[in-house]
Amino acid sequence: MTFLRSLRVQETTNARFLCVGLLTILTLGISFVLPPVANSQMAGGAAITIVILGLSWLIGWSGQISLGNSGFMAVGAYAAGIWAHHHATTPLIFTFILATVAGAISGLIIAIPSTRLRGPYLAGMTLAFSAAITPLAQNFTSVTGGEGGLFLNSLSTPSWFLHFFSGPNATINANAQWTADLAVFIAGVSFFFMANLFHSRTGRAMRLVRDNDVAAELVGINLARTRTLAFVVAASFAGLGGALYTVINATVTPQTFPLTLSITLLTLMVLGGIGTLSGAVIGGIIYAFSTNLVAHINSLTGVNPTSNLGSNMQGIIFGALLILTMIFAPRGIAGVGTAVQRLRNARRTALASNGAVD
Amino acid sequence: MPAALLWRQMVPWIKLFLAVHKGEEIQMIKGRLTRTVTLLAASALTLGFAATGVGISTAGAATATPGVTATSITIGATVPLSGIAVSYAEVSAAANATFNFINKHGGVNGRKIKYIRLDDCYNLAAYGLGCTAGASTTTLSQTQVLVAQDHVFATVGSLGTAAQDSVLSYMKTNGVPQLFVNSGSSDWSQPSTYPNLFGFQASYQVEGKVFAQYIKTHYKGETVGFIGQNDDFGAGGYAGLVNGGINIASANHLSYNAADPVLGSFSDIGTDVSTLQSDNVKVVVLDSIPGITGAILDTAHQDGYSPKWIISSVGADPISVNSPYEANAITFDSLPATNDKTNPWIPWLRSIILADKTDFPKFTANSPMDGNMLYGAAFAVAFAETLKAEGKTVTRAGFVKTLESTKLATLSITPLQYSKSNHQGLLGGVIANIAPNGSAAPIYFNEPSHVVYTTGNSKNTPIKTLPYVVSPIPAWLK
Repeated sequence: MTFLRSLRVQETTNARFLCVGLLTILTLGISFVLPPVANSQMAGGAAITIVILGLSWLIGWSGQISLGNSGFMAVGAYAAGIWAHHHATTPLIFTFILATVAGAISGLIIAIPSTRLRGPYLAGMTLAFSAAITPLAQNFTSVTGGEGGLFLNSLSTPSWFLHFFSGPNATINANAQWTADLAVFIAGVSFFFMANLFHSRTGRAMRLVRDNDVAAELVGINLARTRTLAFVVAASFAGLGGALYTVINATVTPQTFPLTLSITLLTLMVLGGIGTLSGAVIGGIIYAFSTNLVAHINSLTGVNPTSNLGSNMQGIIFGALLILTMIFAPRGIAGVGTAVQRLRNARRTALASNGAVD
Repeated sequence: MPAALLWRQMVPWIKLFLAVHKGEEIQMIKGRLTRTVTLLAASALTLGFAATGVGISTAGAATATPGVTATSITIGATVPLSGIAVSYAEVSAAANATFNFINKHGGVNGRKIKYIRLDDCYNLAAYGLGCTAGASTTTLSQTQVLVAQDHVFATVGSLGTAAQDSVLSYMKTNGVPQLFVNSGSSDWSQPSTYPNLFGFQASYQVEGKVFAQYIKTHYKGETVGFIGQNDDFGAGGYAGLVNGGINIASANHLSYNAADPVLGSFSDIGTDVSTLQSDNVKVVVLDSIPGITGAILDTAHQDGYSPKWIISSVGADPISVNSPYEANAITFDSLPATNDKTNPWIPWLRSIILADKTDFPKFTANSPMDGNMLYGAAFAVAFAETLKAEGKTVTRAGFVKTLESTKLATLSITPLQYSKSNHQGLLGGVIANIAPNGSAAPIYFNEPSHVVYTTGNSKNTPIKTLPYVVSPIPAWLK
C-alpha cells in the first residue's frame, strides 16, 4: 500500500520503475509471438534505442549537436569485443559495464573541447571524431583485428529457456528470442535510468543551460561541468548500445560503425522525437523494421527492388518522412499528439476571436 | 583515507544515475499516462511491422532435417545483388540456372532444389552505395532470415570474405552447414573449429605463391608493386607473394578501402597508381574486385602508365572488368577458359542457360560466357552431386560426411576432393592470360599451358604440379 501511495505523491521514481517494468515485460511477452527473424531485428532495435536515448539527451536536453555517436558506439563495441575476445568466460554484465565506462571516458575526452564550441563547430568536431574511429580500428590490427574485425562466440541460450520451445527449429527460435529478450531487458534498464535522469535536478539544469546559459550561470549552474556531463552520459549510453550490438552480432568490424550511422541515428531520433523518451523507442523500432517496411512498399508499388528506384527507396521514404516530420510534428512521432492538440487549440482561438464560440 | 575520498567523489554520480534526489519531483500523472500510451502504441507498431513484413515461413519443417522434405530441399545464400560488388550477382544466378535444370530433370533423388538468394550488398549495406538493403541489413541479418525463417538446409555459395566471416559463429551455433563459401580466404578450412564450413576456390595465399613463381621466372629482377583490398583478400594475396620469395618495397605495398564512406575507394586508387608510376614499378599485382580492377586499369592508362598487370582470379574476369587495358594481363584460374572448344561443360552450361533464360534474360546464343557463370555452375554441380551420393536419406551430418569422402566431377580443371583435413576445396590452378579483343574490352581468358600448380599456404611448402583434368559430365546431368 505504501508503495502504491508513493506512486501518487512524490516518489515518481517508483512510478517510473513500474511503468518501465510493465512495458519491458509486455515487450518480452511480445517476443514470444514474434517470428524468430523479427526477434533478431528487435534485438538490433533495442541496442539502437539505447544509443538514441543518449543522443536525445545530448541534443534534445543539453542542446549540443553531435555527429559522433557512431564513434562512441564503436568505442563501446570495441571495448566489449576486445574484452570478450580474450576473456570469453567473464559474465556478460562485466563486458557491458566495461563498455559503458569506455564510452564515458571517450565522451569525456570529446567533451573537454566541446564546452568551447557551439552549433556547427561542435557538429564538425564530433563528425571528425566518428570519421577518425574507423581508420583507427582498421590500423591497430593486433588489437582490433583490422578490417576483418574480431569474432566472439554467439550468445549461449541457457537450458531452462530452451524448455519453452519444441519442434525441429526449437534451438534456432530459442537462440533468436533469448538474444532479443536480453537486449530488450538491457534497453529497459537503460530506459529507466534515462527517464530518471530526464526528470532529475541535473535534467532540469541541462534544459536551463540549453535555453539560457546566462540565466543558468546566475542560478549557480556550472556550465562547463553540465555540458561535459551531457556528453559523458550520451557517450556511455552509446557505448552500452555499441557493446550490446556487438554481443548480438557476435562480431565487431570497422564497417559496422561508418560515419553514415551517425546520420542514421540522428534521423531516427528526429523521426521518433528529439528529447523524448518514447521517441528513442520509436526510433529503435523504425531502425529494426525499416527493411521490412521498404520491402513492403516496394511490393505494394510493384517497384523492382534491384532497380535504381528500388535500391534508393530507403532514402526516398525516410527523406520524405523526415521533411514531413519537421514541418508537421517538430517533436517527432512521439510529439504527434501534442502537435494535434496545438493545432486544435489554435483553431479554437481563431474561432473565438471571430466571435464564433462553440 | 583515499578510498573514502574516492567514495565521496563517486556518491553524487551514483545518485545522478539512480536520480534519487529525495522528494524533489512531482510529475504530472497525465504526462506519465501519455508516455505509457505512446509506448503501448509503439509496441503495437512492432507487431504491426512484423506482421506486414515478415511472412510466415512455408518451408517444410515436417521432417527432422530442416529444409528437407520428401520432394524438396531448400538451400540459400547471401550474395551481393546490388551495391559495390554487384558484378558477382551472375555467380548465384548461374547456380540457380543449374539447379533449375536439375529440377526439370526430376531433381536429385526425387527432391527439387530450392535456392533462395538474399541481397546483403557485400555486407556494406550501411554505406548505401546504390544498395537495395536497408540500413539495418547485414550479412548476419539476411543469414538469420535464411536460417530462422526459411529454414534452409545449408547456405551454398554465399559470397565475400568479411561477409562470411561475420556469420561463422551464428552458423556454428545453429548447426547450419556453410558450404562452398565464395572467397579465397583460408578461413574456410578450419575443420576442427568449424566442421560444417567448406570453401571452394584455391586460397589467396596459394594464388600469390603461384604468381610469385611466375614473376621470378618471367620478370626476374624487375621491381614489383601490389594493390590489394584492405581485408583478408589483399592480406592473403600479399602473404602469398612474400612467401613465394617476392620482395615488395613497403612504399609499393598499397591498398584500397572497399568501404570508405568519406572519400570512396577511387581516391585511394588514384594515389596508388601514381605512387607505383613514380617509383617506376614494372610488374603490378592486383588483389581487387572487378569494379576496382577496371578503375585501376583505366586510371593507369590515363596516366600513361603500363606495367605488366598480374590480376587475382577474383578480380580478373574480362567481362566484369570491362576495360580494354586488361588485354594481355596475367591471371590465375581453376576453371576452364570460357572459349575452350574442347571442354564439354562449356556448351553444356550454355545450353542450360539458353533453355531457361529466367536468370539471364539478355543472354543469346552469341553472347560470350564469363568466369562468374562457370563458378556458380561449378559449385551447384558439386552440391547436387554430393546430395546424390548421400542417397535418399538426407541429414546435415550425412551430407558433410559424404562431401568429405566423395570425389566430385565438376567444371574445375583440377580435382575437387574435400577430406577431413581439407575444407578449402580446389587446391590449385593454371596461369592464364587475358586475350586481346581488338580495340574493345577483352572477353576471354587463354590458358596456353595446361599446367596446374598447387602448393600449401605456408612458406615452406614447395610448388608442385597437378594433372589438368576435364571431368566428364555425369550421365544423370546430361
